[in-house]
Amino acid sequence: MNRDSLLAQIGWVCAALGLALFLTILVAWPAGAPPFETIYVLFKGGVSSMSKIGRVLAGWVPLTLCAVGLLVPFTARLWNIGVEGQVIMGAIFCTAALRPYDEGGALQIALAIGAAMLGGALWALLAGCLRVFGRVHEIFSGLGLNFVALGVTLWLIFGPWKRPGVASMSGTQPLDMSLWLPRLGKLSVSWVGLALAIAATIFVYILLYRTKWGLKMRAVGENPKAATLFSLGPRRRLLQAFMICGALAGLAGATQVLGVYHRLLPAISSNYGYTALLVGMMASFRLPLVPFICLFFASLNVGSIQLPLQLGLDSSLSGVIQGVMVLSLFIVQGLRLWLRQRKEAD
Amino acid sequence: MIVLNDIHKHYGRVRANDGISLTLEPGRIYALVGENGAGKSTLMRVLAGHTRPTSGTLEIGGETISHLTPTLAREKGVGMLYQDPLDFPAMPVWENFQLGAPKRSKQEVVDVIGELSYRLDACFLPDEPVSSLTVGERQLLELLRLLDLGATTLILDEPTTGITPEQKQDLFDLLMKLAREEGHTIILVTHKLSEAFEMADSIFIMRQGALVATLEPPYDEKELVHLMFGDAADGEVEALPELPPKDVTPRLTMRDTLFAGPKYSMGDLNFTARPGECIGLAGLDGSGQELFLRGLCGLDRMPGGGFDLDSATYRSNDFATLRKAGVQFVPADRLQMALFPALNLMEHITLAFPDKKGDLTDFYQSQCVDGFNLRAHPDTQANELSGGNQQRLLLSLIPNDTKLLLMEHPTRGLDAGSARQVWNHLKSRCAKGSTLIFFSPDLDEVLEHSHRVIVFYDRAIAAVVEGDDISMEVVGALMAGKSMEDIKENNS
Amino acid sequence: METFGLTLAAILVAGSPLVLATLGETLTEKAGIINLSLDGSILLSAMAAFVVSVTFDNPWIGLLAGMAVGAAIAGVLGIIGIYLGQSQLAVGFILTLLCRDLAYFLGHNYSRQPGPDLGLWSIPGIGDVPLIGPIFGSQSPVVYLGLVAIFVCWWWMYRTEGGMRLRAVGESPRAAFGRGIRVRLVRLYYCLAGGALIGMAGAAYSLAVKPGWGRPQGCEGAGWIALAIVIFGGWHPVRAALGAFFFAGLQVSGIYLQEVFPSIPAPVFQVAPFPMMILTLLAVNLGRMGWMQDIVRRHPFLKTFSKGWSIEAPAALGQDFDPKKGL
Repeated sequence: MNRDSLLAQIGWVCAALGLALFLTILVAWPAGAPPFETIYVLFKGGVSSMSKIGRVLAGWVPLTLCAVGLLVPFTARLWNIGVEGQVIMGAIFCTAALRPYDEGGALQIALAIGAAMLGGALWALLAGCLRVFGRVHEIFSGLGLNFVALGVTLWLIFGPWKRPGVASMSGTQPLDMSLWLPRLGKLSVSWVGLALAIAATIFVYILLYRTKWGLKMRAVGENPKAATLFSLGPRRRLLQAFMICGALAGLAGATQVLGVYHRLLPAISSNYGYTALLVGMMASFRLPLVPFICLFFASLNVGSIQLPLQLGLDSSLSGVIQGVMVLSLFIVQGLRLWLRQRKEAD
Repeated sequence: MIVLNDIHKHYGRVRANDGISLTLEPGRIYALVGENGAGKSTLMRVLAGHTRPTSGTLEIGGETISHLTPTLAREKGVGMLYQDPLDFPAMPVWENFQLGAPKRSKQEVVDVIGELSYRLDACFLPDEPVSSLTVGERQLLELLRLLDLGATTLILDEPTTGITPEQKQDLFDLLMKLAREEGHTIILVTHKLSEAFEMADSIFIMRQGALVATLEPPYDEKELVHLMFGDAADGEVEALPELPPKDVTPRLTMRDTLFAGPKYSMGDLNFTARPGECIGLAGLDGSGQELFLRGLCGLDRMPGGGFDLDSATYRSNDFATLRKAGVQFVPADRLQMALFPALNLMEHITLAFPDKKGDLTDFYQSQCVDGFNLRAHPDTQANELSGGNQQRLLLSLIPNDTKLLLMEHPTRGLDAGSARQVWNHLKSRCAKGSTLIFFSPDLDEVLEHSHRVIVFYDRAIAAVVEGDDISMEVVGALMAGKSMEDIKENNS
Repeated sequence: METFGLTLAAILVAGSPLVLATLGETLTEKAGIINLSLDGSILLSAMAAFVVSVTFDNPWIGLLAGMAVGAAIAGVLGIIGIYLGQSQLAVGFILTLLCRDLAYFLGHNYSRQPGPDLGLWSIPGIGDVPLIGPIFGSQSPVVYLGLVAIFVCWWWMYRTEGGMRLRAVGESPRAAFGRGIRVRLVRLYYCLAGGALIGMAGAAYSLAVKPGWGRPQGCEGAGWIALAIVIFGGWHPVRAALGAFFFAGLQVSGIYLQEVFPSIPAPVFQVAPFPMMILTLLAVNLGRMGWMQDIVRRHPFLKTFSKGWSIEAPAALGQDFDPKKGL
């Protein structure tokens, strides 16, 4: 596949980064953003203090859970765009499981986590069934269900689950501290969350690359028709892939509710689902790269919060940079391909 | 006059065309023969401007050109007709005809089609989508289009696959007329020697990318075969195995079976097959033979009727159940439908034999290398294998105790040596008791390797022929829709 | 009767941007390219149109700016997808997220500011005609642009030589290449043309239907609905436009229903288009399902109905074509 030397490959990666930098400056310029100061604020914002690092890690957890989860359907050549809605559904199921409890402990938390994974898996199963039995492309079913999940959240927050007295965008009644995930020292990230994210990464790695199940999933992705002929049951496996991704996404939702916000609010998924898709594309869906790119994107997200305060810029810039980076990667990949084809033709 | 000078076409390390030079004169019919993979189609695509040669030049009408484009080729009067016509199935006849031609109104196009159809005794409805035409009609439309564009050099790539013998005769008569009366140059690319003998004023023989000889009449078949296949020509094809006696439990009994596919359905199928039989299916594209095979293995639905496999009755055709019961289906399109392109051989073996645990290296050795002569490293990916090796891999993945083997075109794209090996293997399976039902668009192949032939016409079984009736005349006529009585009458 | 007329007028206005976007994507997909950046592209061109029209105090220049932005985004997708051989779906998806964030980032300072809008046009004479007067007589220019666009797209696609080539390229790029058509250039051209229409749709939102720019912008999600309507409309401009008006009708009736049933929470109406989208896509695939085919076979009179129901995608939709590889 890649016959270029290591040096050449490094060269191409640098070209991609350079292009990304150039494009970022290009698009930030009309907003009147001073380029280097902006980049400084962005990167400093993520690492300048321990509490900031804690926040970066807190963002890394759900992002990694979603991103490694996405590797499973991607092995079957599926685009689980519905991951955003699955995070939301996980958060909803998690909150629902804790509604009867004013206070609790590890048992209730475990219950809530289980409920969240179930919620995410079921929501993913719905998108999967639409795809497998209804032949509705997962882009549409996923997206549609994302919006529906958001609608359900809004309805719950302003309806049955509203805070006594006033219903507001700040969400449901906050959970009692006994139902929070325990923190890592003074940092705002939970060690439970970190452990879950690392465990998920190892789990997905073993599942995809060290089991026959993973081989069969790869076969289904390679050629679904041949998979039928080999009696691999491609439809069943596609649904399994959706469900596993949904469960991990639901888990991400649970960490958001239990570890970060301690309640359900409209923006509970914080775009982690879509960002995880970008991470996957940037890593070309190679598992070892995923956690690191997640770390990078998470620090960009935290840093961007400073932008409105310090520079009067919109915090969407982090999203812009993430998008530009992945786009640059694709452009550079394309140029490599184009050059190689030109060489072969001569 | 057209001259090809030292044409090379390389795809990476593969030399599809290795320094070919030949001359084509107007008013003559040439045959370009060679087995699958010899490089004939590639060379013609260079001539038609559909591919650029790696090096070499073309001389057309005195002018030397390094390469052609489709537009340039049209200006020079060169047109190519593919085996699977390169047209637009969803678009109507008149638009298919007009695309690529100088601007004309719809009415003008309709008039031209009408006139050409009248001259050649054909009938085209201008607003019908091309997908509603048969392969033979689509070919004829393409030919008319090329003639309308002013083509004086016509290249036909394997034109007789998938058309009835009658349509073939009409086509050949037309080509004769074009060459003798209008002075066109005709090049017929084929792997069938009989056609070359029948039509050609001169035969070019290609083997493994090179032009090995040019022959003039009178033709010596032995010499031709030897030049085409080299030493591989001396292989022997085994004879059809003997059939078990008639009172043995039949392998397959179909009772009023109804199969439904995505495009059409086919019903009231009644047929019985014995263990060890080789049954060939014949018919034009879309006549029902594909649905027949796919229905029997469970890939297409069976909403009505049922069938027996040995003594077990099946009222529903679930693919997995039938596969466990010993029904195996092998599609024609190996890489698209039957193999996993980026997975390697070991992984294919692991997937095909899920009951075998542990290290499968020994099994691979015995099954693939020793059993099927598949000489490739187990780490090779399926898409890196040659066509012949892909077919060997596919066959090695079929369990030895398969009862009913259903194959769509067993030797598609294979060179003669590989094709022979495949047939010898299939016949040995039949000798051990498996029943084979296969289809091939190459009628000769069907006739040669079948105990009985089921002929399909218009989505139904026209007839089941055996013995002396297995002949080009009878089967060809049945494929075209004639009834058995008419054929018997004509013969007597 | 008057309410009915007013309702139809409202549907026309609400539906016009959707119609424009759907038509643009129909052109692009008919040529074989999928432009998944539709949603983000609408947002970015809406913002650009608004900002430019505020800067130059002229909404028409803003409209042109919106079209230019839409075409530019589609051009990026086109070049990377067609000439650099990368996945159209992947690049389109990246662009949709990127353009959305870019729109909010660059439009930050223009949030909730007033600006010029395209106003209303009155067509003399039509306003007095009894039935269609109140509907068509005095409308936003985007409505007229939308209606004209429907006709132009249909006429171009099915009555001109250029349209024939467009369809040919989407059906079988190999055969088109064999006829001397420059496949990749034609595809890029329709990518750009489609993008311009999409940009016009974005401008229609921020300059006519919901003037202004804010966070979140009212047209979020419209692009995905447009993508589904293209499929629902069978890649035919008139049918797709009807589908767009149908959806707009649902949205308009949703507003009325919300008043009639105040107990149903607002979010239900807001997200209603999306399950509707999924249902329409399911309905479209109905004809291909086995059990449905069995029913049709048992009742042959249903055949005519199912024929009109079934749709065929352009055969080469989403597939790459490299002329250098030849045929």
